[in-house]
Formats: sequence, C-alpha cells, structure tokens
Amino acid sequence: MATLEIKDLHVEVTDEENQTAKEILKGVNLTMKTGEIHAIMGPNGTGKSTLSQTIMGQPSYHVTQGDILLNGESIVDMPVDERARKGLFLAMQYPAEIQGVTNAEFLRAAVNARRAKDDQISVMDFLKMLDKNLDILDMSESMTERYLNEGFSGGEKKRNEILQLLMIQPSFALLDEIDSGLDIDALKVVSKGVNAMRGDNFGSMIITHYQRLLNYIVPDVVHIMMGGRIVKTGDASLAKRLEKEGYAGLRDDLDIDVALVDEN
Amino acid sequence: MDTMQTQTEAAAAVQTAAQQHHEPTWLINKRLTALDQMADLPMPLVQRFKYRDWELMPGELQWKASQSDLTDVATSSVQIVQIGQTTVRVNLPEELQQQGVVLTDFFTAVKDYPDLVQAAFMTKAMQANENRLASYHTAYLNAGVFLYVPNNVVISEPIDIQLIQDNTLDQALNSHVLIVAGRNAEVAVSERLTTVGDNANLANCLMEVVAGENSHVTIATLDELGPKTMAYVERRAFAEDNATVNWAVGFMNEGDTIGNFDTELNGVGSRADAKVIAITDHDQRMGVNTKITNRGKHTNGNILQRGVILEDSELVYNGIGDIIHGASGSESEQENRLLMMSSNAHGNANPILLINENDVMAGHAASVGQVDEQQLYYLMSRGLRREAAERLVIRGFLGAVLSAIPAKAVRSQLIDVIERKLENGR
Repeated sequence: MATLEIKDLHVEVTDEENQTAKEILKGVNLTMKTGEIHAIMGPNGTGKSTLSQTIMGQPSYHVTQGDILLNGESIVDMPVDERARKGLFLAMQYPAEIQGVTNAEFLRAAVNARRAKDDQISVMDFLKMLDKNLDILDMSESMTERYLNEGFSGGEKKRNEILQLLMIQPSFALLDEIDSGLDIDALKVVSKGVNAMRGDNFGSMIITHYQRLLNYIVPDVVHIMMGGRIVKTGDASLAKRLEKEGYAGLRDDLDIDVALVDEN
Repeated sequence: MDTMQTQTEAAAAVQTAAQQHHEPTWLINKRLTALDQMADLPMPLVQRFKYRDWELMPGELQWKASQSDLTDVATSSVQIVQIGQTTVRVNLPEELQQQGVVLTDFFTAVKDYPDLVQAAFMTKAMQANENRLASYHTAYLNAGVFLYVPNNVVISEPIDIQLIQDNTLDQALNSHVLIVAGRNAEVAVSERLTTVGDNANLANCLMEVVAGENSHVTIATLDELGPKTMAYVERRAFAEDNATVNWAVGFMNEGDTIGNFDTELNGVGSRADAKVIAITDHDQRMGVNTKITNRGKHTNGNILQRGVILEDSELVYNGIGDIIHGASGSESEQENRLLMMSSNAHGNANPILLINENDVMAGHAASVGQVDEQQLYYLMSRGLRREAAERLVIRGFLGAVLSAIPAKAVRSQLIDVIERKLENGR
C-alpha cells in the first residue's frame, strides 16, 4: 500500500507580468492511500489545479510552508520526472502538443522510463498492452501513429491522457478536470478507463467542478476546497448535496469568509 | 607583374596536370578559363555569416590514389563508392545498364560519354563564372561521379553515392557529382559524405542536377565530413518543364561548413521542395543558403530548414525565394527555424523573399528559440529524464526532414547521427 500525505501545504505562484507572488494554497491537509478514490471539488479559482500541479512538481508553483510525503518521503525538492518515476501521474487539463513525436513512440519511452535499463519492455508486450488499453478507451489504433496531442480535439486529448494513465500504471493519479469539455459518451469512456485502474494498488485524486463525473467514478472521499483550504470532507453524498445547494450555500452553512470568483 | 607571373604559372601547372590525366581539350580549356576568371569574381554571398578568413582555395591540382581498404561501406545494389579520387566500387545492375543508365566516376564519363558530360557540366544548373569558388572548383576539379538516367527510365531502387574524403593524405577534395535525368525519368539518389583520417583538408563538394521535362528527382544526403575538414558544399538543380526536384539534406558535418543549396525552376510547372536539417556543436561555424528561383510560369518552391545549435557553435540559415519577373502563377514558401540549446550558441534564421512578379503567392516563417519548457514538463511528468525529454522534442523538431528521406537505411543512419550529436553536445 502506498500513501500520499499533504501537510499544511502553502503554495505561492509568481505572476510573470508584474513579478509579484500570490499565495494560492493556505494550509491544505489531506491523506490518501492506494485503493481509495478522492474527489476534490470547489469553485473556480480556489486552488484545485494548483494543488495537483504542486504535487506533480510544476516549477512555477512554490511551496512556502508544509510538506508533501509519498510513502513517508518528502518529494517537494524532487524534480517532476523523479516524482513520476516514484509513482505519481497527472492527467493534465491542457496537455502539451509535440510535433514529430508519435504517440506510440512517446508511450513506449514513458513506460520504459520507470523500468531498469536492462528490463525495457519488448515490442510485443508493449503492443499487446497498447491494444488492450486502446480497446478499453474505444480509441482507434491510428491515434497512436499521430503526433503527440498535435491536432487532437479536446475529447481526444482527454482520452489520450487516460491512455497514458493505463499504460504507465502509477500508484497515484491526479486527474485535473478530466471531464471538462467532454460529452456524455466521452465521459463514460474516460470513466471506464479510470475504473479499470481501480484496485488495491491504485489511488486517485479527481478534481472536478461537477458532480456528474462522480456518478461514473464513485469516490470514497469527497473534499470541498474553498479559499485555498479544504473546508469539508465527507463521503460521496457530500457531492450530491453540493450539487443541490451550490458552493455559496455550503459556504454559508459552514460560516466561512471566502469570496467566490463567480458569485454575483 | 608578379601576379601575372603567378597566374601564368598556375595555369601551366593545371594544364600539365590535366594533360597527364589525359583529359580532352574542352575540359582543359574550361579549367583554364575558370582559373583565369577566378581573381575577378566575388566569393559567394552568405548573408549574416562572416567567412572572409577561411582558406577555401588551396591551389594545386594533383592526382593521388587513396587506399581502397580505408573504409568498409556496406554494399548496396545500385552504388558507387569513392575514397578521395579513387573509385573503389561501382554496382549497376545489368538491367539498368541495358536501359542506358550510366553510373561511373566523373573522369571515366568524360572519356566514355563526352557529349553527355559536356552538355551538362557547369552549363545549366550552374556556371563556372558565377563566383570565385565555382571557378576554383572547375579549375581544380579532382574527383567526381556521373549519373545518367535516360528518357522514360524509372529506377525504383535509391542510388547510393558514397564519397569518403581522405584525410590520411594532404589533399583537398574537389568533387563533382553530375546527375542528368532525361524526359519522364524517375530516380532517387542518396549521397553520403564522410571522412577518414586526421589531417586537416578542404572539401569542395558540388552536385549538379539537370532534371529533364516531367522528370522526378529526389536527392537525400547525409553529410558527415569530419571535424578537421573545412567544407564548401554546393548542390544545384535545374528543373525543366513540369520536372520535380526534392531535396532532403542532413547537414551534419563536424567542421566549419558553408552550404549552398539552390534550385532553378526554369520550366513551366516545375516544382522543388528543399528540406535541410543541421546540428552544430563545439565551436563549429556553419552558414547555409537554401534558395529556390521561380523562373518558369506556375512553378512551386518550398523551403523548410530546421537546425539545432549546441554549445558554442553558430548556425545561420538564409532561406531565399527568388521570383523572377514573368513567373506568373508561381508559389514560393519557406520556413526557417532554429533551436538554441545553450546560452553561448549563435543562430540566425533569415528569410529573404525577392519578388519581381505580381501574380504570385509567397510566404515565410522564421524563428529562433529554445526548447519549450511546457513540452519538457509534460514529457518529464511521465517519468522521462530531462535529457531524454529534450532529445525527443528535438528529434520531433527535426522530424520533417527525416520523414522525407526515401531510403530507410539513410533515415536510420541520420537518426543515429542526431542521437550521437545530442548525446555528446551537452
């Protein structure tokens, strides 16, 4: 069993234009284990993506206080690739496009990156694994010969993120708004992919605005984030309640002093 | 008076060497005329690139044999291999010989096919009096290859031309590859330039392509001249009506190098596609002109140059689209992009459009930049180490030319060279 612990995490991001630092996360605490699915919900601008990017190691986010522990080991000083090899995966909201590199070539490099030099995956095994996962995601084989994310539609990019998840088999997957821009059919396919990973050796943190995704990937734990903190934690029913009352209602119930970005 | 004297002596020396070599009078005269013009001609213009102090014209015409066992180039079915001035292998299948295809060393061709050579050698694709290096090349020519594909002959197998510059000797290589494709002919050529030995020498390597009406000529090159070789590499093509000339140049020389790639779209409806990739490293300096001239009506030229600059090196790409008055309905497109991999690297991507006709389409794009950090972050977030991620992005960046190379063996050789350079150059 693997664990991911976030302890009193404070994170700043530097505004490139005026060179000012802004604190986004103001003391996040969270512990998750493999075998669990956690959902993080919250209004826009509350720091959900910052949390996932900081865990993964995006260099623009600076940890000013607190710690992130993977299996008890602090990872805040590790570069992103090392964190990935230790078992973290982030399905990104805006994956980069890379011309001239085929999806298949990239996937193989990613799979091999976490294997020892003398234990690289054979072409046969790789193709077998690829075929199986393409099938789960209802993706055509031609997708793997296209250049990585180049010219992919929004839905194709999301599917491709999940394909990487299935190929890489991380301990913990952070899914950042994997449902945004997806129609209901695509949403089902993507959920099917994530559910295929469920098991004792896999944990996931699902960031979403909407409860809808959680009908397909049922979480064990739901956290509500507001103003850079987790303000409430509950089970799957919490997401349903949120859907009914909205963030403003929940904020007022909890008597929290936070301005919501989209509030009128 | 002294210069006159020197000039006369030089002419006498060239004449003597050419006569010893049993060359025909027309060729000797061509050499002497070129030699006579040399002093008055300008050096080739490579914008934004200074090479005035380069010693590009060591003046001596000598015949020296190279040891044919200096290399172990793999055999291919249609092939010519030369080390220095020495031809070590020619493979031309019986079937192609019967169709009239000629593949031989240049001076044998001068003897055996004088009319074919004389009609095409420095008469169409380029002239000996264009600039000083062209005249130098003509006067001091000491090696070469002749390929002739008669009218209507289609060759499916790529023709493999391997030129090994011999740095075990003290001898400039002045090599001329002359390719003549007849009407409706189709041929793909891969040319590879390499070096053996550790002496410092000049390589002046020219290729001329005369593409006849409706012919289809593809040239893929892998240039890998050694670090002690200063190189002037010029490749020229002349396209007649509806001819197509495609270039894919892998410019991987290790020494200081000038490249001049120039296609003249002379015939109506002729087309050219010129793709060039280069990687420079150490303190190497490289300047490249890639030019397509639209002279005929409804001609189409497309230039794509990509380069990666490592360590303290310099790479200058000039893309030149020249549309001559009267070439109505023509198109000229170009893209020149450079990646700088170190803060000491120097690069210049310089699009030059010369348009003297109204009814045309022309466009250009140019950029000099670094590897995109967002792309690296994305790849690294999947576990790839920074170096591996960079290599993948760079290989993707250079991929446009790789995919244009017809011979699979050449393509994988080029990939190997790229990987090796990126591995070492950090």
